[in-house]
Amino acid sequence: MSINDPQRQMIQEAMKSIAERKPGRTKLVYDKTKRTIVAVSEGTQAPRALNITADDADMFAVATLSSRWLREHWPELKRDGSIAVALSSWDGGDALTQRDLGVQPAPSPEQGTVVLDERTAAPAGVAVRIVLAPTDGTRPDAATFLAPDGSFYRAAGRRTAGGDDQPIDVCFADVQPELATRRAGVLESTVLADKMVLCIGLGTGGAHAAIELAKCGVGRFTLVDRDRLSVGNVVRHPGGISQVGRLKVNVVRDLIHEKNPDAEVATHPVDVSYENQESIGQLVAQSDVVICGTDNRPSKLLINQLCIEAGVVAVYGGAFRRAYGGQVLRVRPKQSLCHQCFVAAMPDEASDVEISTSSDAEAVAYSDQPVAVEPGLSMDVLPIANLLTKLALLELLAGKQTSLSILKRDFDAPWYLWLNRPEPGTQYASWPPLSASTDEMTIHRWYGIYIERDPQCPVCGDFLSSIADGYGLDLTSLNELPASPRQES
Amino acid sequence: MWTTDQRKRLVLEHEILQREGFDQFSVYINKATDTYYAAGTATANSGRRYQLHIPIPSGYPGERPPMYLIDPYPLRMANGNLVTSLGVSHLMHTLEPSSSGWAQICHWRTARWHSGIVLQKVFLKGLIWIEAYEQHLATGRPLAEFVLTMAERA
Repeated sequence: MSINDPQRQMIQEAMKSIAERKPGRTKLVYDKTKRTIVAVSEGTQAPRALNITADDADMFAVATLSSRWLREHWPELKRDGSIAVALSSWDGGDALTQRDLGVQPAPSPEQGTVVLDERTAAPAGVAVRIVLAPTDGTRPDAATFLAPDGSFYRAAGRRTAGGDDQPIDVCFADVQPELATRRAGVLESTVLADKMVLCIGLGTGGAHAAIELAKCGVGRFTLVDRDRLSVGNVVRHPGGISQVGRLKVNVVRDLIHEKNPDAEVATHPVDVSYENQESIGQLVAQSDVVICGTDNRPSKLLINQLCIEAGVVAVYGGAFRRAYGGQVLRVRPKQSLCHQCFVAAMPDEASDVEISTSSDAEAVAYSDQPVAVEPGLSMDVLPIANLLTKLALLELLAGKQTSLSILKRDFDAPWYLWLNRPEPGTQYASWPPLSASTDEMTIHRWYGIYIERDPQCPVCGDFLSSIADGYGLDLTSLNELPASPRQES
Repeated sequence: MWTTDQRKRLVLEHEILQREGFDQFSVYINKATDTYYAAGTATANSGRRYQLHIPIPSGYPGERPPMYLIDPYPLRMANGNLVTSLGVSHLMHTLEPSSSGWAQICHWRTARWHSGIVLQKVFLKGLIWIEAYEQHLATGRPLAEFVLTMAERA
């Protein structure tokens, strides 16, 4: 068969289509009569033939290397002719991923070497050998590497396992540009890279919000949570069973790095309390936005106070009991109501909280009146976490023109209410079914609600003047406090 | 340690107590330690006297101040047992006792406290608790039968 043979050209075309997983004009079939693979025009009926699909052709393991890592180590490779590479082996060696690409290695490590000369042998015990051969770069593909000196190389790999020497596909990943390309339709890739988000409370909602923002390209995070991941958390938390016992700040840090490897993440496994309000206040002041995912009022009110003092926007999210619904509050200091205004204006809503941990229960229980731990389902918490994330994202994008700018019109209310179900015993129990209502309030819809800021708020308003006025007192002429008649405090 | 606003607020709270018929209570400053507390003697309808003591925490008003009943000491229930032996009790509306053994009256739980609540309201809850305590002593019935669970609104 000559090189110009039409069948040969059709096979080449069909194989290209299969490799690119795109439909082409020709396809490959196994001709049972001829007992060989042939190429036929797409649409041809071949009764004694077996169609060959991309999955049939996907025979080799794939090794993925970091382009950036190779660029950084290029001088070393040029000098020594080879360079060691640590790989994670997944699924019995089906995928070999360079460890530098991510933070979570597979349980099976594998050693590899990258060489410039095909004759360079792999060191003893090294199973994967990747050869970089010069190429002209006219048809770059995933296996093509552009060296810092502007020259192109094509990678081919082999893996030795159990006495077998198998070819492997090699592809290069340029992580940040590839991630940025996927966001570019909605967000400019660099818009969020310098933004700092302080995430306080890394339960289901807080952790989810942090990871979602990492996916959007937020580049700097400070994570605060004193808790460790427990087995019970796993049914809701992004962290999995293999992470049980780890501090949540570390679990979430690693999950952020899985989505945005260049993100700077600082971790603080501490409680949010008045004892450490100074250090938490410093973290707040360094942030562009604070996401509060804590589940108790004292910490929310403390964060509120610190954010108002620092002039930093905060977004608070919380589920109602057993996550029958939830709410999100966005506080723009001295512009919209703050969390203190909210608890004073809406005490019932502010007190309707999910009891998802034993410490939540202890905070409201009495020794003679226990409170059950009743967490909701993950799927019922995630809508709340998603809006929390979106409001935080819009604040981070304030002043930037993006496709999301239009949403500033839609998300202009400070308080948002969501119902997962019309919980019996609540004011929402009689809400009509989704199918029966188009203009009444129903479950599974967000409601943005306006509540005015309280100008007499003790945190964001002028409480002292207003209360003095209320009692007919003049703040400028108050007497000094009496000194303690006793020695102890 | 204390912000200007915190100090101003405590002065104002003292003035409110004096002018609003709560002048049996005062806010005091301990200049040696630069700490504050509010205290005073509550007189029950029966004429019995009870000493209330509220150490002001450094995070006040954001942080909830505890209210202790420091005299009579030790405080006993109708059955003769110590009130403090109950710990955090719904039936007697008490929270964790102090390290020195004073009974802590539940005015607002930490989960319900906010900085809009003033000390005048806290002392008022203390007075209500004392009346309910006296009813408990008279009848042996739990204190919770004489007071509703305390509402949140200041």
